[in-house]
Amino acid sequence: MKWKIFSRKKRKEQWRLIFKPDGDVADVMALPGAVAEGQIAGRYLLASSVTSGTVIVQGVSRKGILAGADVAVDHDAASAHDVDVAYQPRSGRASLRPAETINLEEMMLEASNEFTSAPPDPEDLACILYTSGTTGRPKGVMLTVDNFLSEQQATAQALDIGPKDKIVGVLPFFHVFGLSNILYLALVRGASIILVPQYSPGNLLRTIVETRPTLMMAIPTMFIHLLTLLERKKVPLPDSIRLCVSGAAPLPKEVIEAFEVASGARLLEGYGLTETVAACCLNPPDGVSKAGSIGTPLAGFEMKVVDANGKELPREDAGEIAVRGKGVTAGYYNLEQDTKEAFHDGWFLTGDMGYQDEDGYFFITDRKKEIIIKAGLNISPGEVEEVLLRHPLVKEAAVLGRKKGEREEIVAFVTTRGDLSAKELISHCKGALSNFKVPDVISFMETLPMTITGKVLKKELINDYQDERRIEQK
Amino acid sequence: MSAESSKNRLGLAQSIEKRAAALPDSVALHFEGEAIAYNELNRRANQVANGLQGLGVEKGDRVAIMLPNIPEFIYVLVGTLKLGAVAVPFNTLYKGGEILHILKDSGARCLVTLTNFFPVINEIRSELPDLEQVILTGERNLVFAHPESTAFIQLVLQGDHIKDIDGAYQKMGHILLKIIEDLGVKEAWYKHRGSIRVRGEKIATFVISEVEGMALINTVVFLGPLDTRDFLRVVWVPPEIRDKVVEPLTSVEQETGKRPLWDQVKETVAGAIEERFQVEIRDGSMVRDELFSYEKLRSLAYKAR
Repeated sequence: MKWKIFSRKKRKEQWRLIFKPDGDVADVMALPGAVAEGQIAGRYLLASSVTSGTVIVQGVSRKGILAGADVAVDHDAASAHDVDVAYQPRSGRASLRPAETINLEEMMLEASNEFTSAPPDPEDLACILYTSGTTGRPKGVMLTVDNFLSEQQATAQALDIGPKDKIVGVLPFFHVFGLSNILYLALVRGASIILVPQYSPGNLLRTIVETRPTLMMAIPTMFIHLLTLLERKKVPLPDSIRLCVSGAAPLPKEVIEAFEVASGARLLEGYGLTETVAACCLNPPDGVSKAGSIGTPLAGFEMKVVDANGKELPREDAGEIAVRGKGVTAGYYNLEQDTKEAFHDGWFLTGDMGYQDEDGYFFITDRKKEIIIKAGLNISPGEVEEVLLRHPLVKEAAVLGRKKGEREEIVAFVTTRGDLSAKELISHCKGALSNFKVPDVISFMETLPMTITGKVLKKELINDYQDERRIEQK
Repeated sequence: MSAESSKNRLGLAQSIEKRAAALPDSVALHFEGEAIAYNELNRRANQVANGLQGLGVEKGDRVAIMLPNIPEFIYVLVGTLKLGAVAVPFNTLYKGGEILHILKDSGARCLVTLTNFFPVINEIRSELPDLEQVILTGERNLVFAHPESTAFIQLVLQGDHIKDIDGAYQKMGHILLKIIEDLGVKEAWYKHRGSIRVRGEKIATFVISEVEGMALINTVVFLGPLDTRDFLRVVWVPPEIRDKVVEPLTSVEQETGKRPLWDQVKETVAGAIEERFQVEIRDGSMVRDELFSYEKLRSLAYKAR
């Protein structure tokens, strides 16, 4: 076919390849950025130099980190370990934007400064918060406008929060403790929040010293880290702190005492759940704090200890803790059955086992789901953990039941401070526990998996745990 | 509760409005040495409310928030509440499956998150039909470059090479998959808008960005194992959650037993792109304007803090 000679296929488009296998970390951004900038300018100035496609293949000859301007990088550690640090400078008008996204700042700049909000209905949903779930899939806890209001009234009254207060905002706001007992509480009462976007013990201490807060809400690991750091650096905490509150996990008595000495302020332990918009129980700021206790119910909350049938138990008897009040969630989002099972006669069953003492103080012993049943006998993982922790070489301990055929065996996961054999640890347990409570297996670990609030993620210690972070093909 | 008393019980947004009107200059937030007053907080929250409303967010709609404790978290939360919409804040450490579950279950229409988290969201976006808008803030992007491990492949293309973003993700994903396969890795797979993975582990990843009618495709390929300890020494992460911060990774060397040489990487990349884009690739260098801007960007990168 002759005509083909005249319609010879168009010459292939040419793209350019820039090859730099031994650049450095700044090149990762500078090379494509320069090509893009050059091409944008070229469109107006040097049309001939514009190529329709550029491919850059590059590596680095030294370790390096390229961070956005708002990432906290430890420069001392970087130079000690030969890591170059480069920053992506704050970009100008024509900033790079991932395709099919909106830039928040641009959206806000274009929007009006005025907005008239309609007062919400107390029953309206304000937030759905997903429980971190130490077992099972996260469930969406529905929290209404009224739930938050009741909680704010209860905590503001107990802690006497006012406009002069400056509260350390180190707990993440995506967690109920930070969201409710810091963000909401402070802003509803006209107080101010000191934002700490990235927690490190050094960062937190520096912020506290510089900003002189009046209140600090944190989790046990943070108080422990701070104490260690204070000792090492020999710096005092500012005298501005008038009160500290710890929650989410138990805080050892010695830490409470040491921190109270260091801060000159009371450190109160409390208790709460996502389902109760955070704190529902607290050691009273003006009364007696009891070691190991979560205190007494806050205003607006009622608490009791019930048996397996939901019947209230007398003081000192152990059972499941139940809560009632305006601060308690209406239930789980899209999960009617779970909601139904979580309530008994209008009381929310917390899933936490514990008891109330003669003075009305509550104590937590275990998570209900984690109780081990062996040969028909109930074993409290908390009790076994406590015995393990009494061994001077044991740092952390998590005890759980593992199916072995038809039976359940007790497995103890521990981290240690030094050399320790399983045999030694088992004989230590035998000295303090009835035989059937002694762990069948001791598993030594480097670290224990934990939630952001310092609770051990027991589900991750079980054999068939599926790593939710992985993305599978099917 | 009577209608009268419920009126007196203000929601968070209304409490802030009231304080902003009564004592506009009183401080609400302290952040990086600056004080943000109640009226400023209220003004920013108004902007968010108006912006979200412009995107079609209505009372009762869910707005997901995946942000650390920065002022934007509060602006977005309060703006959402002003609309009567429902805020769904969730853990910034969550990855793939966990985020998918929350966004799906809550039926969120919008998500506000850090630019840095975008690749994670992009990877699951096609499974989230309800998620209409992804709103990004901050320049918190983070790249860890390691001589033994990381190779960067970047494409700068005129806009007309990319007809639609969906198609571009499809095409680039398959080019990258071919590159990985040509480097000898077996059983790698690409899921739309995701990373290239072997089993559940990441071996390469890319993001498509736009700037003034051009497209930038940024790709990272792990040639050898990445020692994340170096990363963790520089950016502090609590030890208990370290395995949550760094995704499970693999590399060409781990899969094939050999780290490919640079010339092989270059040839493989050029070959795959030539074939799929039907173009000819020639070695080249930067022109004058580009060199000028390269020097500027490099010096800024080491100066900025």
